Amino acid sequence: MLLPENTKCECGHQNGVGTILCESCGKPLDPELAKSNEVLEMRYDGVARPSQKANPNFIDKIWNFFSSVKVAIYLIIITLVLVIPGAIIQQANTFLSVNFDPSTYYKETYGTLGHLLYLFGFHNTFESWWFKTLLVLIAASLVICSIDRVIPLYRALNKQQISKHLSFLKRQKVVYSGALPVSQEGFVEQFRQVLRKKKYRVHSNGQALLAEKYRFSRWGPYINHIGLIVILLTLVFRSFPSLHMDDYVKIVDGDTVPITNTNFYVKSEGFNIVYYENEELPENLQDEVRIKAFETDVVLYECISYCDDVTQKPELKPLMEHKILVNSPLSYKGFRLHQFDYDLTPRLNAVSPSIVDKVTGETYGPFYLSMFDPEQYYEVGPYSLTIIAKYLDFTIDSSGEPTTLSNNPNAPAFIFNIKGPGFAESGENYIYFPLEKDKVRFAQDSINRDLSDLIDIRVLDMEDVQFSKATTYLNVRYDPVVKYLLIGAFICMLGLTMGSYWNHRRIWLRIDEQTITIAAHTNKNWFAMRQELATCLKQVDIDVDQKDLDNGGNKT
Amino acid sequence: MKAYRKKVQILVLAIIVLIGGFVIYDSLMPQGKGVTLNVGDQVPSFKLTSIHDEYITLEDYNGTPLVLNFWGTFCEPCKREMPAIEAQHIKWKAYGVQFLGINLSEDKITAANYAKNRVTYPIALDVNRVIEKRYGLRSYPTTFFINADGSLNSVVSGEMTEPMLEQHISELVNH
Repeated sequence: MLLPENTKCECGHQNGVGTILCESCGKPLDPELAKSNEVLEMRYDGVARPSQKANPNFIDKIWNFFSSVKVAIYLIIITLVLVIPGAIIQQANTFLSVNFDPSTYYKETYGTLGHLLYLFGFHNTFESWWFKTLLVLIAASLVICSIDRVIPLYRALNKQQISKHLSFLKRQKVVYSGALPVSQEGFVEQFRQVLRKKKYRVHSNGQALLAEKYRFSRWGPYINHIGLIVILLTLVFRSFPSLHMDDYVKIVDGDTVPITNTNFYVKSEGFNIVYYENEELPENLQDEVRIKAFETDVVLYECISYCDDVTQKPELKPLMEHKILVNSPLSYKGFRLHQFDYDLTPRLNAVSPSIVDKVTGETYGPFYLSMFDPEQYYEVGPYSLTIIAKYLDFTIDSSGEPTTLSNNPNAPAFIFNIKGPGFAESGENYIYFPLEKDKVRFAQDSINRDLSDLIDIRVLDMEDVQFSKATTYLNVRYDPVVKYLLIGAFICMLGLTMGSYWNHRRIWLRIDEQTITIAAHTNKNWFAMRQELATCLKQVDIDVDQKDLDNGGNKT
Repeated sequence: MKAYRKKVQILVLAIIVLIGGFVIYDSLMPQGKGVTLNVGDQVPSFKLTSIHDEYITLEDYNGTPLVLNFWGTFCEPCKREMPAIEAQHIKWKAYGVQFLGINLSEDKITAANYAKNRVTYPIALDVNRVIEKRYGLRSYPTTFFINADGSLNSVVSGEMTEPMLEQHISELVNH
């Protein structure tokens, strides 16, 4: 290939380097090949691929590497082998727990081999740089292989000569040769009519004929590849955080929470489980508890100012309201909030207790006491109260000090400094547990000792207790490019269908003096090709068995 | 035709290098949902209110080494290490080392009540865990040792003893 080569055919056509069969007349160009009688290799009709260049430079060499199907197959095999461990050992990103430690987990679960696989990064196969690199190489090979082949194929099929060289016809896999039964014009016309009925598009010049059908099936594999590329590109774009999001928000009834990485806030007006009424239930299920729906009433807000400043209250603008059901997410400009989970543990938000003077029996108040954001100072009747300590989840620690176990109001406690009738001038400390159960558990009255004989702080009415009944968990999704995966899959399928259910068939006829030569070529299903040609020949009164049309070199 | 083919070749290869390069580069970057601060990174800025209703920002500490401690009254080890931090605060005052405690989104009363009579360095209040998330906290307590230029010198998750603190702060001062 390095020596300059005469690529001009005897028909006068100038062919590119690497051409096997003349692009115009189909004659084998290589003298060795021309002498032989073997069946011709019809790949791309013998046209040279762009990668077959005489003097490849650096870029050509890269191009040639990727244009090789052999390289593509090796890449696919290497990838397949390397993902096997990743498919067997559990991947690190599937563990939700923060305490998951890959450096010990794989050794404990899978032994030394597991630890070895961890050390080589197989615990993170599908996010690893080498897996992504292999995918990029396969994608490159897919694109370059396709371009390198679709161009010569298109060129070969787009400018076909009706009259081909005799040796081109003689060396096809399906060939018939015999004496001309009727006149030349009569036979060509007769055969043309027969082929047209078989849906062939027929071109003839009086003494030669080219019939062709279903050429589009040849584009099937390339369309399939376009689909794959669309899918791969979609996956790349989906890795941008701004184009893909899959997160969770926890909202206690009545709370408004920001959605991370967005400008949205969402408020839950309340989570609800709806049960079937007896009228809706059949006879045998009467009075049974059957869940009809899990629903959360939400309001979606957009932050318009003070969004990043935690020292200010963000200014929110309501966008929409929606009742989220399991199959009815809130949807706003591609953002979706799906019902995901719930928790029916109530949360105390605030109480409005009153102060009862145990000596006179007089009641003062109520005063509003928030669990999360209480005022420091209260005036209730003749009493003044100052919060000096607050514990949301009260307990006594190992050193005997009061402390809080968490930031959730599971067992709230307030220590007030109270001044008023009966109290010391400088005030006295009084502990108050808003929840009745904690009052008993932590023995409020004995902690307060004789102060508990002076006053009682208590809630007089259930309406003075504010709490959230439930917590809802919503799945936040934003996936605007996911539709391109479907489009890619559709293109893929279209290509596969085109390539699988139709075959590209061509029939050439040539008359030399009183001899007719008929050859046929298909990209697959040679049996059907021979059968079809035999049927056509029968209609022009040439009786030949499909087996006798077989010129060898066939696998089917 | 030849020149056209060459252009197609170069264009296709360039697109592959561009997109492929991005994909591979992206896979080499540290992944994960949380933020990971590495030594040498500029620490995220913040603006918070203190328990005395003053604004405190990271920029206030420009030019001085800073020990930034995240703590909460519900966190036992946080409370245990506070005396050690306070002792170091007194000790390094002369060297210009600043200390700041960021409370883990509790209310002002709770935080102020605990800090009062225990520590003399300022305490700022995080809200809705915003700053905590910005700093990528995984466990409590976490302490960041920040150089005078705002870059991270070292970070410790978990309770610290005075010698540990001393060592980290000397590194900070010698930076």
